[in-house]
Amino acid sequence: MSNDAVIEIRNLSKIYRDFWGRKKVQAVKSLSMDVKRGEVFGLLGPNGSGKTTTMKMLLGLLFPTSGEMTILGKPASDVSKNEKIGYLPEESYLYRFLNADETLDFYGRLFKMSSAERNRRADELIEMVGLGKARHRQLKEYSKGMTRRIGLAQALINNPDLVLLDEPTSGLDPIGTREMKDLILRLKSEGKTVVMCSHQLADVQDVCDRIAVLFQGELKVLGRVEDLLEVRNETQIRSSSLSDAAISDIREVLKKHNISDAVISRPRADLEELFLRTVRESGERPGRRFTTEEIAGKSGKSGGQA
Amino acid sequence: MDFDVAPFTLRDTAETVTSWLFLIGTLGVLSLLISLLLSVARNGAAGIGIFSRGLLSFLEDVGSLSPRRILALTNLTLKEAIRRKALLVFAVFSVLLMFAGWFLTNSNERAELQVGIHVAFILQTISWLMLPVVFFLSCWALPEDIRIRSLHTVVTKPARRIEIVLGRMFGMSLVMLLLLVSMGLIGYVWIMRQLPTEATSQLTCRVPVFGRLLFVNRAGQPEEKGINVGDVWDFRSHIEGDTRARGVFMFDDIDESTLVLGTEFASDGSGTMQVPGLKFECQFEAFRTVKGSESSIIEGVQAQYTLSNNPREDAFSLFSRSETLRPLAEALRDAQFRTAANRLEELSAKIAADGEAVKINKSPELQPADYIILQLGTLYAAGVMGEREDAALEATIAAFQKATEIGVDLINMASASPDVDGKAEKLSGLHKALAQSLTELAAVLTQEADTLHEHLPKLEVILPSFHVAEFHEGGQQNIKFVPRTVRFSADAETQSRFLAGLFEKLNNANQLVEGDGLSSQLAAQLQSEGKISEQNSSLVVEVLTEQLASGALKVEGGKLAVADGQRWYQFFDSLIQKNLLISGDDEGWMMERDLINDLTTKGRLRVEVACLNNQMYLGMARPDLFIRKPDRAFMIGYTKAMASTALMMMLIIVLGVTVSCIVKGPVALFFTLTFFIVGQFFHGFMHEILIAPPDGGMGAIASAVMTAQHRAPGIGMDVSEATQRVVQGIDAVPRAMLWGFSQIVPDFRAFNAASGFVENGFDVPFAETLIPAFLICLGFLIPCVLIAGALLKFRELESK
Repeated sequence: MSNDAVIEIRNLSKIYRDFWGRKKVQAVKSLSMDVKRGEVFGLLGPNGSGKTTTMKMLLGLLFPTSGEMTILGKPASDVSKNEKIGYLPEESYLYRFLNADETLDFYGRLFKMSSAERNRRADELIEMVGLGKARHRQLKEYSKGMTRRIGLAQALINNPDLVLLDEPTSGLDPIGTREMKDLILRLKSEGKTVVMCSHQLADVQDVCDRIAVLFQGELKVLGRVEDLLEVRNETQIRSSSLSDAAISDIREVLKKHNISDAVISRPRADLEELFLRTVRESGERPGRRFTTEEIAGKSGKSGGQA
Repeated sequence: MDFDVAPFTLRDTAETVTSWLFLIGTLGVLSLLISLLLSVARNGAAGIGIFSRGLLSFLEDVGSLSPRRILALTNLTLKEAIRRKALLVFAVFSVLLMFAGWFLTNSNERAELQVGIHVAFILQTISWLMLPVVFFLSCWALPEDIRIRSLHTVVTKPARRIEIVLGRMFGMSLVMLLLLVSMGLIGYVWIMRQLPTEATSQLTCRVPVFGRLLFVNRAGQPEEKGINVGDVWDFRSHIEGDTRARGVFMFDDIDESTLVLGTEFASDGSGTMQVPGLKFECQFEAFRTVKGSESSIIEGVQAQYTLSNNPREDAFSLFSRSETLRPLAEALRDAQFRTAANRLEELSAKIAADGEAVKINKSPELQPADYIILQLGTLYAAGVMGEREDAALEATIAAFQKATEIGVDLINMASASPDVDGKAEKLSGLHKALAQSLTELAAVLTQEADTLHEHLPKLEVILPSFHVAEFHEGGQQNIKFVPRTVRFSADAETQSRFLAGLFEKLNNANQLVEGDGLSSQLAAQLQSEGKISEQNSSLVVEVLTEQLASGALKVEGGKLAVADGQRWYQFFDSLIQKNLLISGDDEGWMMERDLINDLTTKGRLRVEVACLNNQMYLGMARPDLFIRKPDRAFMIGYTKAMASTALMMMLIIVLGVTVSCIVKGPVALFFTLTFFIVGQFFHGFMHEILIAPPDGGMGAIASAVMTAQHRAPGIGMDVSEATQRVVQGIDAVPRAMLWGFSQIVPDFRAFNAASGFVENGFDVPFAETLIPAFLICLGFLIPCVLIAGALLKFRELESK
């Protein structure tokens, strides 16, 4: 394992079987990828693509059919790895009869935290997620957004090195979404590694360093967001001081000259476009795609598009 | 039929632990093998590695249990139950209590039954209200956590799954205890307030000492059973009234701790006082052969207790089981040791003759049973005398032991195979040796007759008769208090021994003689030292003065002595036999004896019960007469009954949580309920099937074959031996499965016993109820926690 890889996945497969052991569906097919320390990593894919299954295998909620996984250098089945992991489930599956304080105290007790440390940490987190006024109300009285916030707080109670977020912005209003994204970036700035599954592509685009796109259990795309969104076969010239005549001239001149103050760059698609294209192409031409990192490995330089 | 609850002893503990370890070991090995096979079947050769890693990981989990996390999960369960209104059951209980009072007050005129009804109502209500709560709580909580995925946030923390299981079990147990304590306290207050005033005095925990029961028939011979008066229900055996028939209760471990304080009239007539003594309580049944009047029924049957310390009865009564040996038994029991020696000589001659008869194959004079009883009788006699640790008896004990040893050899040889070389010769030799040993025993008895008479004294205290209360209110009538210092009218033997002892004591203190005559203070001495009445003291002085004058007594060296060298008791015995000491006192020869020091030997007290009414029978079983130790507070027994209920609930929780680790709530409920019903109502039935003899307990296939062949059960199948073996082999499989199942299903009956004791006003004995209940609970807790931990660990919580 390389020192900067927090998660290493090799040839991971998961087959769901029925009671009699017959194969129902293969949710993950020979998945291999790494998540590096300190990055925000996004797992994308349409429903049923295997991203949540992968995350649950990482957490030990599901057992892989084959392949290997290590998290923070330990096998996924090792409970002690959870000491340094925080997990926010897709829905906030918390104990609804507890209030915010009790919830954080309960989860804090599952770690080696003193009473004083638990109280301090709970105060910090409740303040951070903005539930100060509702901390003594039972969770069953919380709105969905409030539930997501307390869910996030419980995921961070142990000050984890690795945070796994399943649909972190689901159910949040625009302000809540903005705060969640800010928080993810804050976690990154604190040196923590964040892995998130999301359908909110704009959110992923905003916060993720790298993404992986899964489709029907296969890894289709893996790479840095900015590399993946770069359109390499087009050129864009932009200027704020060009008249129509100038533009006409430029078109002429451009054939012969470069213009120094013009912004010339490759245009960027958005993540939604990339996502839809990947899914469409995967449907039309089944089979595994090359990742940008694999291309980089072959050509000896980073960047590029599959 | 035996109604006694068996106590749990140290020997049981060793057996139980061995059996438990065997079962757990077998189950563990089987589970591991199946897991390994499944792992290999799924993953091929890699399955072995996966299995090993899984096992190691599980063992690591077990080794790294964290009390902190378990406590956190326990608290969570407690909060969940409270906030989800599990305590509502408490409200139901309160409502029931509010209305129950209408129906239970004065539901029975007998106070002790009133108490029983009220206590039973509370204990049963609490149990039945708690059962659904613990069933649902234990079977539903974990599956619900998994269904709504709350558990996901816990297992993704460092909590081991076995800790989740323990946390759940402990938490639910705490909830259950909380409910039980609350309802128990309310129930206690309710009983106290609801019971009619006249019944509250019955609200106590009696601590009984039960004895062993033997019978003496109308001819005075010991028997195993009394008379069956025609009841199909042969629990009680009857003794015939106005005959020598007795029910003999042998109580062990009677000592100072058995004494209770009771009310007794002061001898000086100054009123009542509290004195220590023994409290007897009986529940005999009367059987009448004549139609009595209503008043005679209400009055009841007259019974009488005789407390006796009779080592001769204990030591020699076994001989009377044989018709041939009965004269010997009677002579020994009556202290006629010289007569007994003659009987032994006669017996010796017969045995010697049998020795000759063996050689010529002639029928013997004594039957084999006579030899067995002779051997057992001598063994028992030596044992009982040995227990007295009296050096004066050693010679006699040795003679009995010698006869015992030869008797054993003879019986062994008689039962040996006829093929043994020279069996007849050896048998003949042993007969001669036994005859010789009996002759020696006879010689010892003759020689030691006086010593034996003196050192095997009989003391009998006949208590005043009383009417046994049967159907009417009057339970108190069946409770008899006997003060520790008991005054009684003595029989001849006791009287002569008492006077002999008293005179020896006064003689040693030089208080009998003044000059050549009796001391002028002798009458006063007898009154003060021997507590003999004034009239009787004067009588003794008068008779002794005459005896001194006639030369039967003499004065030697300032002491009084019997002229012909007789012992004092023989001297007084002869006076009694000559009717010289007939008391003119209304009470006769009243004496005092100490219940503990004089009437028990090594804590053993013999109580004989007689029925005094002609044509009436008194029925009794072992528990029908008991000695009451100091009563305990009702609260103690009530708390023990609650503890027993709590243990049962805890076991249900353990089972429910275990099953719910692998199946959904309704299925877990079904399984747990099945375990409970089978364990509560069918455990005995399973046991009966398993211990049934092979002929009587036919298997399914054998029964089917016999049905087809129209053959009655017990006759057997009309098939070849080989086929029979095959059928029995096939039938052995379900039998083995049933055995396995009966070992896995807890015996829930063990938890019911405690409430029965309290309802009937008895203290709950630990060894018979709470210890077995606790061990059953613990015996299931340990494997269940491991199984549940493993099931939850190797279960995919998100499996589709």
